[in-house]
Amino acid sequence: MEQLVLGIESTAHTFSASVVSSSGEILSNAKNVYVPPQGSGIHPFEAAQSHLRAASRVLEEALADAGVRNDDIGAVSYSMGPGLGPCLRVGAVAARTAAVTLGVPLVPVNHAVGHIELGCLVTGAKDPVVLLVSGGHTMVIAHSGSRWRVLGETLDLTLGQLIDQFGRHAGLSSPCGRDVEKAAAGSSAYLRLPYSVKGNDVSFSGLLTSAKDMLDSGKAFGDVCYSIQETAFAMVVEVCERALAFTGRKEVLVVGGVAANRRLGSMMQAMARRHSSRTLLTPIQYSGDCGAQIAWTGCLALGGGTRVPIEKASVRQSWRLDTVDTPWRA
Amino acid sequence: MGRLLYRGAEADIVAGSWQGLDAVYKVRRPLKYRLSVLDEAIRHQRTVHEAQMMRAAREAGLDVPRLFYVGPREATLVMELMPGRRLKDLVGEGLPSIEVLHLFRSLGRDVATLHAAGIMHGDLTTANVMARDGRLAFLDFGLAAHTARVEDHAVDLRLIKETIEGAHPAAAPPALKSLLEGYASSAGAKRARAVAGQLRAIERRGRYARVV
Repeated sequence: MEQLVLGIESTAHTFSASVVSSSGEILSNAKNVYVPPQGSGIHPFEAAQSHLRAASRVLEEALADAGVRNDDIGAVSYSMGPGLGPCLRVGAVAARTAAVTLGVPLVPVNHAVGHIELGCLVTGAKDPVVLLVSGGHTMVIAHSGSRWRVLGETLDLTLGQLIDQFGRHAGLSSPCGRDVEKAAAGSSAYLRLPYSVKGNDVSFSGLLTSAKDMLDSGKAFGDVCYSIQETAFAMVVEVCERALAFTGRKEVLVVGGVAANRRLGSMMQAMARRHSSRTLLTPIQYSGDCGAQIAWTGCLALGGGTRVPIEKASVRQSWRLDTVDTPWRA
Repeated sequence: MGRLLYRGAEADIVAGSWQGLDAVYKVRRPLKYRLSVLDEAIRHQRTVHEAQMMRAAREAGLDVPRLFYVGPREATLVMELMPGRRLKDLVGEGLPSIEVLHLFRSLGRDVATLHAAGIMHGDLTTANVMARDGRLAFLDFGLAAHTARVEDHAVDLRLIKETIEGAHPAAAPPALKSLLEGYASSAGAKRARAVAGQLRAIERRGRYARVV
């Protein structure tokens, strides 16, 4: 029987709610994004306050856009973690309230697993090597046994943090991905930056320091942006290539906020072609944080019997995706 | 040059011959996704470096293919053909056999030997280790380095742990146990404890691994 799940996402900047059907139809995806002041990063309490103010409007919008009544909702899912505590708690409160009010089960979802499963749904990926790149994650992942497994990851900063911290150093406000991409597109002057691949892992801290120093010593902003993208993206694509060769998979899926970057997408395509593999890029409205990733993964988990009693529906700031069982992929 | 044996992440492995001997050509082809100035520098550097590190590993006592030719400009190494099968293909699904556990024990011992010589492999996956008659040979030294740091030696063990857990989850617990036993039998209990402790420290640094 077809079920409708209301999913709530609130791990970081974004408070979002979405209704998705168990057959995989995304009926709505309403969101409100907290934007920090220029030059500074996300402040967890400020973001949580913003989520609190937006919560009921976003929830109403999700139901109205989907054109469904309260009684049509069969379950509520929420991102239990990982993420920023104050932000997560707003989502958990909203989810508990909604589940009690509607009298339906509550399903906890791992945010990172949500990114991957939604990416698979909207791109049609079956058994891909996944690059999850965002402000919170930089991981290369594949499914094996009963879980998504991490094949490689960053040893320090995420790709999103690298770009945002550099952007803020230059006076932009977070998230800086779009501005950095635009500035990079106007340059073709490559400045040598540290290229650090260690086995299947990458490290961006030395790259960030060098890039900041270059900017401070008078190098053009666009040239440094271009060089950061060319170096950092080549590193993550190299690790994906290693994972593709090692696992023999035939698809690469890119998910997470940085998946919106066109240069990263084209580099991935050039790599995958060499291995006769398909590149699947998650469209921008579903690559960044959104309720649909939580609603859809909630549908999958609900089918496998996952649910949490209201009194135990807390949050987990630290929760690695490779500890989550995925019975729906058995 | 002849038949393509294997398309790796950064290099093609091609069967051929050299002065009448069976040989393997490892060719780092240009990677189109990378800016050519960056790509050329990386391929050149890794080719020269790999040749140096292969020699160092052989001097340390590991079984490593003999090099016939080093060509930095064409980013090519020509080396002897190593018979045997990749450790990756021997592990398979499910619980490992006694023979496979013996191989992991040997792997631990050999890696400790390499580390004792002040070398980290840098790319220690089950695809880069060949097994024949219970003995192991090591390939792919492109990311190897001279280092005696506990941290770097732990990075080697972390990668092999990551690949075993990722590719052979059912085999991972007993395989890792055998690996660490083999490591300790060669490096000594004290050094093995230090490296294993550092491995856990690296894992705790992983994102969202530590409970807050």
